[in-house]
Amino acid sequence: MSLRIGVDIGGTFTDLTALDAATGRLSKAKVLTTPDDPSRGVLDGLDKLLAATGATAADVVQVIHGTTLVANAIIERKGVRTAFIATEGYRDLLDMAREWRWDIYDLDIVLPAPLVPRHRCVEVRERIGPDGAVVTGFDVASARAAAQAVADMGVEAVAVCFLHAFRNPAHERLMAEVLADVAPGVAVSLSSEVSPVMGEYDRACTTVANAYVLPVFRRYIKRLSDGMRAMGIGVDLLLMQSDGGTAHETTALRLPVRLVQSGPAGGAQAAALTGRVAGFADVMAFDMGGTTAKACLIPGGKPARAPEFEVARIARFRRGSGLPLKVPAVDMIEIGAGGGSIARVNALGLIQVGPESSSADPGPACYGRGGAEATVTDADLILGYLAADRFLGGEMRLDPDAAERAVGALGAPLGLSALQVALGVHEIVNETMAQAASIHALEKGLRAQDFALVAIGGAGPVHACAVARRIGVGTVICPAGAGVASAFGFLAAPVSFEAAWARLVPLSALDEAEIEAILAPLRAETLRSLAEAGVDPAACTVRASVELRYAGQGHEVEAALTGGVEVLLAAFEARYEALYGRVERGAAVEAVTWRVVASGPVPEMHLSADATVADDALVGHRAMWCGRAKAMVQAPVYDRYRMAVGSVCHGPAVVEECESTAVLPHGATGRVDAGGNLVITLEPEA
Amino acid sequence: MAQLDPVTLGLLWQRLTGLMDEVAGAFVRTSFSAVVRENWDLACSLMDAEGRLFAQSSRSIPSFIGTMPRTLAQMLKVVPAARMRPGDVLISNDPWLGTGHLNDITLMRPIFRAGVLVAFVGGTFHCVDVGGAPRPDARDVFEEGMCIPVCRIVKAGVEDPEIVAFIAENFRAPAEALGDIRALFAAFAVAERRLCAILDQEGIDDPKPVVDEILARSERSMRAALAAVPDGVAEDRLLADGFDAPLVVACRVEKRGSNIAIDFAGTSPQIAHPVNAPFNFSWSYTAYAVKCVFDPAAPNNDGGLRPVTITAPEGCLVNPLRPAPVWGRHLSGHYLPFAVMGALAKLVPGRVVADAGAPAWNVYFRGQRADGRRFVKMYFMSGGHGARAGSDGPNVMSFPTNVANTPAEQFENDVPLLIAERRLLPGSGGDGRTRGGLGQRISFHNPGPAEVGFVIRHERVKHPPRGLLGGGDGAPGRDLVDEVPIPAKTAMTLVAGSTVTFETPGGGGMGPATERSADAIAADRREGYVA
Repeated sequence: MSLRIGVDIGGTFTDLTALDAATGRLSKAKVLTTPDDPSRGVLDGLDKLLAATGATAADVVQVIHGTTLVANAIIERKGVRTAFIATEGYRDLLDMAREWRWDIYDLDIVLPAPLVPRHRCVEVRERIGPDGAVVTGFDVASARAAAQAVADMGVEAVAVCFLHAFRNPAHERLMAEVLADVAPGVAVSLSSEVSPVMGEYDRACTTVANAYVLPVFRRYIKRLSDGMRAMGIGVDLLLMQSDGGTAHETTALRLPVRLVQSGPAGGAQAAALTGRVAGFADVMAFDMGGTTAKACLIPGGKPARAPEFEVARIARFRRGSGLPLKVPAVDMIEIGAGGGSIARVNALGLIQVGPESSSADPGPACYGRGGAEATVTDADLILGYLAADRFLGGEMRLDPDAAERAVGALGAPLGLSALQVALGVHEIVNETMAQAASIHALEKGLRAQDFALVAIGGAGPVHACAVARRIGVGTVICPAGAGVASAFGFLAAPVSFEAAWARLVPLSALDEAEIEAILAPLRAETLRSLAEAGVDPAACTVRASVELRYAGQGHEVEAALTGGVEVLLAAFEARYEALYGRVERGAAVEAVTWRVVASGPVPEMHLSADATVADDALVGHRAMWCGRAKAMVQAPVYDRYRMAVGSVCHGPAVVEECESTAVLPHGATGRVDAGGNLVITLEPEA
Repeated sequence: MAQLDPVTLGLLWQRLTGLMDEVAGAFVRTSFSAVVRENWDLACSLMDAEGRLFAQSSRSIPSFIGTMPRTLAQMLKVVPAARMRPGDVLISNDPWLGTGHLNDITLMRPIFRAGVLVAFVGGTFHCVDVGGAPRPDARDVFEEGMCIPVCRIVKAGVEDPEIVAFIAENFRAPAEALGDIRALFAAFAVAERRLCAILDQEGIDDPKPVVDEILARSERSMRAALAAVPDGVAEDRLLADGFDAPLVVACRVEKRGSNIAIDFAGTSPQIAHPVNAPFNFSWSYTAYAVKCVFDPAAPNNDGGLRPVTITAPEGCLVNPLRPAPVWGRHLSGHYLPFAVMGALAKLVPGRVVADAGAPAWNVYFRGQRADGRRFVKMYFMSGGHGARAGSDGPNVMSFPTNVANTPAEQFENDVPLLIAERRLLPGSGGDGRTRGGLGQRISFHNPGPAEVGFVIRHERVKHPPRGLLGGGDGAPGRDLVDEVPIPAKTAMTLVAGSTVTFETPGGGGMGPATERSADAIAADRREGYVA
């Protein structure tokens, strides 16, 4: 046996998947997350997985790991005591933020508190100008005083962000030397290494976040590695980065902030793999869980990337209410509510779903744990989309009466029945998600209806067909094991690393030698990280790109660097036109951020559905809402695990599996493909 | 159409408001100007055939609240609805019809379905240059740029080349302005297509009953919020620095049952300096304050503002008559939310904020770079926010407008100046049970060799942000060149080697300082927020 193992630590469960590279067989394990020391849960899970597959520690050839540890440390403020060193005049960089309000009507608005309070922020006399030239030399005395102050604070980590350090990192490097001398043992993060992009506030936030989580992450990786070695698993860890590439633990230990989004990145990679196996080039991951629904466009099988995202938002859906992190991430956006989101009647007498969510405990009313408010899951149960006695594979019984009571109570003042309200909640949620996904695609110059939807997360397959219809999408794919998709996605991800830095240059001033001079260090850095993961440089794909804009604009458009300046200009104009419908011929163009992404080979994944399954999947009928009949109808219920490759079902119907239920409306035809995916084709609604 | 149950209505409403975000998104994506792209200094609105606003793009700044239907009504007086044809687009930047200065251009397009006028879609955006020579000593609006009267820039789908030529001839950056105007044409086409598709799908011929219901519900929501607080009459009066003499903003609020009336009688007469705020602008910032205090979560449409009556005597600072100069209308208009809340503090003390370090502070720099490129750059710098009943005012926060700062690294690449410091000003927040937010000290150093010109128009230098309900005032603002005070409203030259420093005002405090908690006092000392 030759096992590749994916491990995803979530808030509640730690999911593990193992793929036997020899047979293509997939096995799974789920254990409870152990928040006090997450490595314990992982080690338990590895034990359980090896036992289940009959393998030994020696059969393990690779462990790829994603974790919410880094994100949670920031969100829950459980990082280490950290200090911040700024250029003279900029001590208050973190506290002053960007000055705008993320909600214009809320007079009591709050912003996320910086990870480093003001009294642990210090200044050093030095100054680099916008062209990278030294304006004020690095003042060693003030640097030593700052380092001493930091040492006296008793911090474990320090972040350094000097002005224009992305352009010239010399002073930050000198500062690191001084810190090593005066405050040895304090972990140092430099902005020129963590995130060398333009914009001092965002860069400082990112560097501070990296410093804040670094010691926590280092201790965790050490415990996990030690534990694995004790079990006899001798391989190094690969970590899932936010952008969907994996990196060796050595790389991740330098830049833990790049792991903040590792779970969602795994989901996107799982959706990409599903699309590849099912034969769809352009897919959209639709991940609907307990508290949110997310979407990620995957054109051409590659998850869309974003150069930044926000963490620790005060309001889930409000841009600007979190801390900005300038690190590459899959562009997975929140498009709406999750299964646990609460429906209420708002001040206007209308039903509103979310943003409040019933957390896992007490959860939706139908969980029977004392939750009294109606949630999306309660509505889905009333509509017959979920089965009371087969939720989570029958491990949990839902209480339809409690759902009826909660949803009914919502409808009473409106003169609506529980069924009418349930339908309303379901449709409102679907409309919100469809709208948000469509607008997101448009913002990227794409059309959402050109993508096939890959439904993951517990509630994804329940809502996917209805959302697809509202967008105008014709195909929905429900992969096997939607509930452990992230851990599975880790296995599909290539080793990869992105390096970027800002260097503002007019396009007219560039030539090929200049471009090469800018790219060479980036290329070296990416290849170094890949080498750490043991990837043969000859097997690497290296792609370069640059963000460009018309001089005077504030937003950039990314174009691939495949040739000289003229090729670059043409690529920029083509992209600009695709996004904005026009180009400004003759206007000056400038390059801003340069980027190199090196990737190892995409892992070959041979998946084989179990061919021995008897095709006796029809396990009964139950009443479910049919939008065509506008009534509850008796619909067939299929057991996903007993559907053979090639078997077909027609909506209205439901297909149940352990972690989720796929709802097929009227006009939908589901077919199990060779990879075990349920591919649903939707006729346009009459 | 079937009866409008709350589910159907909720869905329709969501589709219609989401539609306007899509329309605004289409505009922003195709727009060329940084003001539109970065500050969302724009609004897109949907009115029904009667001109009632029922959906507006959600991301916007307060000066656009509720103005579009007022502009449309004025436009329809010039070009009656009966004369409109499919594909027509109206345009104007008349400050008295639009949002109060020439820089905001408003366009409006009727939407026809099967030959019947069913709605209007409108868009407003900020255009950095509209010709003229705006400056602090402009005496009338004619100096401030070209006024485009209400006219059809597109007739039945065909651009009028003569109107376009007028604009192209009078604006300094016509390509940018016309680019944004045409971007709105494209966004309007999206609005028409999507609205008609929604009406088709939902089987709606006449959106009027939907709009009636949406507005009625929004109105009920605001009325319920108003009815829930005690009746009363309260007044406030504040002093603005002005030019030669202080200016008075007087405000009287009368809350009766589910209605609220706000009147600005007693406010100073209009003056021959560009700080007059045409009534639409004053109306928006007044309505904004009422909405924030009473019903912040409700959607932004005409219904929610029906219980609100706003009046101001003609010829006063906040309802000036033509041809008053209005370029810096925010220098009086931004005071209005504070006057309204100052009065409301006597009726609903738990809901208001103390004065913030506003009207917004900014500075225009202009000059020539070493490479010969000329530059004009506006830089915004916020003061401290006012204290709230339950929490301190945040430090340096844009209010009542909403503009982000420009990163120093971005600014220094565009303008040959160095931002030598940008620090909080300890002690600048007014003290109180809850403290006002801190202002900032920001310095621009000219390393030379060329001179750089700058223009400032700053308020709250002589009359600092007031504390409320026993709270202390915030620190007044200061303007300095090489640490020597300069006038707050001036156009100057910064010579090589010199540094201009701005200290923005701190926010006012709330409640007696003696009631401040020991924890809060200790935190202030630890973080150095107090001097």
